[in-house]
Amino acid sequence: MTNDPITLGHGSGGRQSAELVSFLLESFRKRGIGPEMEDAAVIPGGYAFTVDGFTVSPRKFPGGDIGHLCVCGCANDLAVRGASPDFLGISLVIEEGFPKDEAAGYMESAAKTCGEIGMSLAAGDTKVVPVGGVEGLIMTGCAVGRIQTPSVLSSSNLQEGDSIIVTTSIGRHGAAIAASRFNLSVDGLESDCAPLWPALQPILAEKGLRCMRDCTRGGLGTVLCEWAEASGLHISLEEDAIPLNLQVRSLCDVLGFDPMYMACEGCAAIAVAPGCAEDIVRKLRESPLCTEATVIGRVLAGEPSGMVSLRTSIGGERLVDMPFGELLPRIC
Amino acid sequence: MIMPGSAGETAGLLRRISRTPLSVMEVCGTHTVSIFRSGIRSLLPPTIRLVSGPGCPVCVTDQGEIDAAISLLEKGAIVVSYGDMFRVPCARGSLSSKRAEGYDSRIASGAMDALTVALENPEKEVVFLGVGFETTSPATAVLVEETAKRKVSNLSVLSFHKMTPPAVKLLAQDPELGLGGFLLPGHVSVILGHDPFAFLPRQFGLPAVIAGFEPDQILFGLAEIVRQHESGVSALRSVYSRAVRPEGNQKAKAALERVFEVRDATWRGLGVIPASGLTLGKKFRAFDAEVRFDITLSPGTPPPGCRCGEVLTGRITPPECPLFRTKCTPASPVGPCMVSSEGTCGAYFRFFKGDRS
Repeated sequence: MTNDPITLGHGSGGRQSAELVSFLLESFRKRGIGPEMEDAAVIPGGYAFTVDGFTVSPRKFPGGDIGHLCVCGCANDLAVRGASPDFLGISLVIEEGFPKDEAAGYMESAAKTCGEIGMSLAAGDTKVVPVGGVEGLIMTGCAVGRIQTPSVLSSSNLQEGDSIIVTTSIGRHGAAIAASRFNLSVDGLESDCAPLWPALQPILAEKGLRCMRDCTRGGLGTVLCEWAEASGLHISLEEDAIPLNLQVRSLCDVLGFDPMYMACEGCAAIAVAPGCAEDIVRKLRESPLCTEATVIGRVLAGEPSGMVSLRTSIGGERLVDMPFGELLPRIC
Repeated sequence: MIMPGSAGETAGLLRRISRTPLSVMEVCGTHTVSIFRSGIRSLLPPTIRLVSGPGCPVCVTDQGEIDAAISLLEKGAIVVSYGDMFRVPCARGSLSSKRAEGYDSRIASGAMDALTVALENPEKEVVFLGVGFETTSPATAVLVEETAKRKVSNLSVLSFHKMTPPAVKLLAQDPELGLGGFLLPGHVSVILGHDPFAFLPRQFGLPAVIAGFEPDQILFGLAEIVRQHESGVSALRSVYSRAVRPEGNQKAKAALERVFEVRDATWRGLGVIPASGLTLGKKFRAFDAEVRFDITLSPGTPPPGCRCGEVLTGRITPPECPLFRTKCTPASPVGPCMVSSEGTCGAYFRFFKGDRS
């Protein structure tokens, strides 16, 4: 990485984000105390631990708000490592002049979501900064939970022949936010922001479970590219199998976005051993969040290794690469 | 005339009827991306070569135009433009990197967003970069008329707008390219109608088909081009009749007439094409950023080694450029064809398996 300033592209969740993270971690890695690259860390004593900051704009969006998002984001990071959402810490950095009621409203939705999944607030911090110090409010969550799986879920478990499952239709959070930002109204378009724990808990005892990932910034496409690159295996997807609702499809058509890269906040990618997919999909579908859960592809050993390919609806084939920079709406 | 079928059926038909080699240019960047995204190239027989044309608005924007936009930012103006423009680099940075330095560049999803920005920032000069072809120029025309009507004095337009038919004509008569047919842009034709492209069969005997953007419509258009090519009888056909009326969109054309004047324009890779650009007409000079900020648009120098010009005219494919995937990647693009979501190099990089596996 050169000494250029950090841009919004570095915050978009694709390859540039990966480069920035790796650049920033250098000091820790060279001392041998850097983290593994998963959604949550596994720490001694059988716990998982995560931290996640939220600066969404707008702070209220169809399907949720920043408080709900903060709890879901943290809890989902734990859930995909097989850990229950036990304890949460919240740090608020608030710009002077921010309405008290609005801040309390976000705490109310955070508390409500915590209540639904049995998570309690164990720690917190509040800072107020002068006007311009932050834009409105930054909410950061930190969460700890006990790991409930017989063995640790990790992308290093990925093997040839594994099936890839997605738990619900993709891209709804990113599409809802993009619609708000670009003043487009799409009937029925809502963020998928939701805690995954109730849906994932029933499959944690399954022996064939290899790894799970929360498809947040960068979307499903980025998660699968990371898996392919880390394992050196080829992930082959079927476009027709990937659940995608009409609203997300229309918004992406208008703005020129690829749904594969649109953020989700209540959707996981799951890799499972051969022969286990059917059972796991059936269990997932029992949750109202995952009625669209389905197998979308397979892990293969052949070429192109370390990459994701997609068999398109019309029978063609192409690559799915990690996105670069901000998702920018196209001209026409 | 070929009858519409499913994408799979049409691809099968196309493979059956194609006998002799044929190079087809898809003019429009949206076609290019749809072709890559749907994997159409992997379904075509070896006889068919698809050449991506100059129909990506960002890609044909000249370096001198990008320089002018950056200089406006440096003069303290708020620059509003479409997202695609934001990462196109010039020697002094891009709209995106300038924003990281604290300059005020903003992404619009439509031209009228610029008016909102101007009204919200009455103490600042706001400039809208008018970029694109007949699909975006009518919106700029409406913005200019509305700005004049409401006497918004802090908003002006820097027009890089270009017209598609003159560029298509230039490429059609280039013997070196050897193009045997054109897949014509659906959205541009919605505005222009059929006539402006009728010279292709009439003057050059080339098959020309206006198509929509879904993979089945593109394949249908390609199959019709192949059919014409094999039968030796060429004509202008629209396989996008649900959207394109033969006479085009009269209202949009009238708005263009009222607001713009035709001028020569510099296209990246194609050079100066006479009477191919649009500048604000006399009546609207007060809202022309070139006048207000005393800018003279002059052809710029492309980055060293960049062969976007040759990519844009179909002379080389992206992997033939020595910078492709080495110095020029989506993360650090050298030329606009890698930057834009509709650029040929970006599409090759993201979607194409052929040169990597």
